[in-house]
Amino acid sequence: MLQFSASFGRLLLELKKLPGVGEKTALRLAFHLLKSPGNIEALANSLISVAKNVHLCSVCFGITEDDPCVICSGGRDDSVICVVEESQDMLAIERSHAFRGKYHVLQGALSPLSGITPSQLRIAELLERLRHSQTREVILATNFSVEGEATALYLAKILKDLGLKVTRLAHGIPLGSDIEYVDAATVQRAVEGRSEF
Amino acid sequence: MILSRLSVQSFRNLAATTVEFGTGFNIFCGDNAQGKTNILESIYLLGTLKSFRMAKNPELIGWEKQFSLIKGLISDDGLNREVDLLLDQAGKKVRVDQKTVVRVADFFGILTVVLFSPEELTMVRGAPESRRRYLDRAIFAGDVIYLTRHHEYMRILKQRNALLRSGDTSSLEPWNEQLAVAGAQLVTSRVGYIGNIDKLLKETFREITDTNDEVAISYHSGSLAYSEDLNDNIDRLAAALNKRREPELLQRTTLTGPHRDDIVFTINGKPLRHSSSQGQQRCFVLALKMAEIELLRRCRSVSPVLLLDDMTSELDSRRIANLLKFLTDRRMQVFVTTTGTNDFELFEDNNLRLFHVEQGTVRPANKA
Repeated sequence: MLQFSASFGRLLLELKKLPGVGEKTALRLAFHLLKSPGNIEALANSLISVAKNVHLCSVCFGITEDDPCVICSGGRDDSVICVVEESQDMLAIERSHAFRGKYHVLQGALSPLSGITPSQLRIAELLERLRHSQTREVILATNFSVEGEATALYLAKILKDLGLKVTRLAHGIPLGSDIEYVDAATVQRAVEGRSEF
Repeated sequence: MILSRLSVQSFRNLAATTVEFGTGFNIFCGDNAQGKTNILESIYLLGTLKSFRMAKNPELIGWEKQFSLIKGLISDDGLNREVDLLLDQAGKKVRVDQKTVVRVADFFGILTVVLFSPEELTMVRGAPESRRRYLDRAIFAGDVIYLTRHHEYMRILKQRNALLRSGDTSSLEPWNEQLAVAGAQLVTSRVGYIGNIDKLLKETFREITDTNDEVAISYHSGSLAYSEDLNDNIDRLAAALNKRREPELLQRTTLTGPHRDDIVFTINGKPLRHSSSQGQQRCFVLALKMAEIELLRRCRSVSPVLLLDDMTSELDSRRIANLLKFLTDRRMQVFVTTTGTNDFELFEDNNLRLFHVEQGTVRPANKA
């Protein structure tokens, strides 16, 4: 494509860096944009504006335009902090309106295979934060993967030593689903972790 | 269950064909290197998605062909199901009754196969890995969750080993905890399975050999003595991990866990690999396979299909007769490859179908 237009070729290469976008999708997106110059400008502007204005909150490390973010500066419950891996996990919990406390985004999970150790996560910042706050409970809401579980176990040990109440999100059968369609391993965990009615 | 029809297309050296099978013995005879074992391999693939010769797709796909297709019609208790397996350079695709299968659990169990082939003697003489692989496959044939657990354990193990290699082990503790739980789950399944199979093995060995030799199979894990209780095993494995921390830090790899365990076969109290003839070792493995069939039949109400590769070179005629009786009594469907048909004269069974295999062509023959 570079032989037709150098800038078009560069656009393709940039698009292909995005997750889930390959050669074909990149071409489709690029041609679509070419056909509507108005959209190109709007997209370009929003990209530049995101790059300029959006950064991580210095308190919770979620994405924000103001520092500290609306959640950290607003009148949320100070006594509970929910620890998640990524900003999108925080969005998911916010969407549920189930939680009125504050968050802490680790920016990843422990994974020796990818070279991610505790020092690369925002764990030191979390401990520093806890030292200066009224927090009594920490909810560990890392993913239920091998890596998320390791991160939760690691944090639980440290946090319990600080005398905090440490909880973990419940896991099991998805709401509104039929038990018959849930995979066997999940059903087994749900049976093991059943609660009294 | 019965595999009543098999179609293959561009699979190894086999010519495109559709074969109807009998419900009893199906015997493929022909000279060496004609394609007899390829038929068994295609059936094994339909049941397990794996080749028992550890072959990758490019070797399985016919010469200068793009893909191969294996189709089977399986009937179980009056229920007919069609399994299509497509092999191409990218991988394997399965369809059950014309529908693409997404979850392994929807596929496994439709055709359960048990294989006995000459190569399996490596289980007696080879490295522990071959015995672990056998055990894992055998457990998985009756327990789908075991596979999920196994994947999880391997993932934790890889992460933990990466951490040990990195030299910075300050965050080892959460990986120990997870490894102990996931590992103990595997071990508990394995110990339970071995306990069951050991009882049946003693029966089947006697049935096939007519001897009073005392055979046994047991689970070995160095100095660790596991029980059948999960929580107990978690504690033991966790304690063992703590105890071996120093050598692990030195060798930078995980030294304790189900990935290091072994299965020990004994005859009259002595290890099978040292103290027995090749014939005895063959009988042992064969009896183990029969025990596996019995366990599937009794505990899971599954009647598997048996694949016997090159059976006649394995056993003397009295033991073959015992084996055939064992299989006839249980009305098993059996697929056998052999270079001669003599041994089957032993056995006047109407439920016998003979096929000639020549240069990749399979055709039904009249009973010899």
